[in-house]
Amino acid sequence: MPTDHLSFTFAALADPTRRSILTRLAEGEATVNELAEPFSVSLPAISRHLKVLERAGLIVRGREAQWRPSRLQADPLDEAVEWMLARKATWQARMDRLETHLRRTGEQA
Amino acid sequence: MNDPTHVAAADQQVLITRVFEAPREQVFKAWTDPDQVAAWYGPEHFDTPREQIHIDLRVGGRYELTMIQRDSGAEFAIGYEIVELVEPELIVLRSDPMPEVGMHEPTITRVEFSDHGAKTRMTLSDGPYPAGRDHAEAGWTAAFDNLAALVAG
Repeated sequence: MPTDHLSFTFAALADPTRRSILTRLAEGEATVNELAEPFSVSLPAISRHLKVLERAGLIVRGREAQWRPSRLQADPLDEAVEWMLARKATWQARMDRLETHLRRTGEQA
Repeated sequence: MNDPTHVAAADQQVLITRVFEAPREQVFKAWTDPDQVAAWYGPEHFDTPREQIHIDLRVGGRYELTMIQRDSGAEFAIGYEIVELVEPELIVLRSDPMPEVGMHEPTITRVEFSDHGAKTRMTLSDGPYPAGRDHAEAGWTAAFDNLAALVAG
């Protein structure tokens, strides 16, 4: 069953800039400046995105005030994928039953 | 990872395509006629009794059913609003949020039906947060697949 925590993960992933940031962090940790480079948005905007990712537990940030490098944390992502797979299994099983149902009604017709 | 299931999950969408050996009208009706929905909605170990299924088949109409767990008798009411409807081609359902199970946002279930010879191809997508999603954005899917692969590796 999904949790509040999972809602945060999905909400964090809903934004294309944040997904790009995560993709970049998958290559290794990076500072705000490095993360901002490919985007035409301000540093404060990137910082806001990082806060959302941090709250969702998708990244952790260093303590050094100047740099605060961000690092990817994959656990919530795995959890989100797991939940989606469970949901997919539910729909697959439902479609199996629909198939059986249609075969049955087809034979009667 | 090349498993398409995994990619679909990373995309925050469940995607299922099926070919049913029945004409389109019949498959569409299986989704919209309460007598038939009762026969398959399930899920496993649950009953969806006919008398607790209400479908007001129009845009803005309600699509409601109750799933009852066979062992415990526990009841789970599921409610959708019909947001798009083209007979017998398309039905789009938006679920009511269910905060008690952590679903604070509605989900969108989109089901499309097309002819496949004498059979019917049905495409279903079901996703928790379609609002911020941007499928048109070319680079993203590939980038995120890479991410999913890295994470899984």
